[in-house]
Amino acid sequence: MRRRFKKNREESEINITPMLDIVFIMLIFFIVTTSFVKEISIDVNRPTKSPIKEQKKSEVISVRISAEGQIFVQDRLITLDAVRANIESNLALKPQASVVVVSDREADAGFLVKVIDQSRLAGARNVSLAAQK
Amino acid sequence: MIRKRRREEEDSEINITPMMDIVFIMLIFFIVTTSFIKETGIDPNRPVAETAIRAEQGNILIAISPNDQIWMNKNQIQLESVRILMEAAHAENPESSVVIVADELASTGLVMDIMDQIRLGGISKVSLSAKEK
Repeated sequence: MRRRFKKNREESEINITPMLDIVFIMLIFFIVTTSFVKEISIDVNRPTKSPIKEQKKSEVISVRISAEGQIFVQDRLITLDAVRANIESNLALKPQASVVVVSDREADAGFLVKVIDQSRLAGARNVSLAAQK
Repeated sequence: MIRKRRREEEDSEINITPMMDIVFIMLIFFIVTTSFIKETGIDPNRPVAETAIRAEQGNILIAISPNDQIWMNKNQIQLESVRILMEAAHAENPESSVVIVADELASTGLVMDIMDQIRLGGISKVSLSAKEK
């Protein structure tokens, strides 16, 4: 009897049942809580209000959006379709320039996103957002 | 010899090692991919953008309804409380970034106010949600 017991102990492994329980509970928890939904988004810079970071006017392409949805690139009224071409030609003159979108507070956010999208399509590396004073 | 084998067979359980392997791999997969995105509670009409990319890090969602209500974590919140919520989120996870899900008809002013509040709360990575064409 004694011999048998000893042999059994030698053969036996570590009891992994509690570990299995924990691993299964963790697995179920993570399966349930995982959501694979990722938001699709565009990055926008929001410059701080400190005047130190204010850029020189020559390095900025300003795009202004009025409350009625009119777009002005460098103070010239254009349509949304022409934004890309206008910014491209401005960027050709000033390759280092960054685009600053100055939007009226009442303008639609969807319109703003479209303008930012068009300027990014035009090749602007740095698109930032500013409020109208 | 034959007797011994028989006894061993009676004692032995099902071999669970391959199952353990699979369970562990699944567990690690789910731990790595889980990102705990908090739903906003509303589903605004996102603007279309061609340059939109998948936000890999964005784990805080703030939604803005067409009539300028702010929703976060299935609650309607006030603009003043955005900063406190962001400070709490930043303390919880310094790597966290925010995706603003603004409706097409939301006002740009509110989007910029929220961006400022997020920045004041200590989170610098902010992006605007969009949908692919």
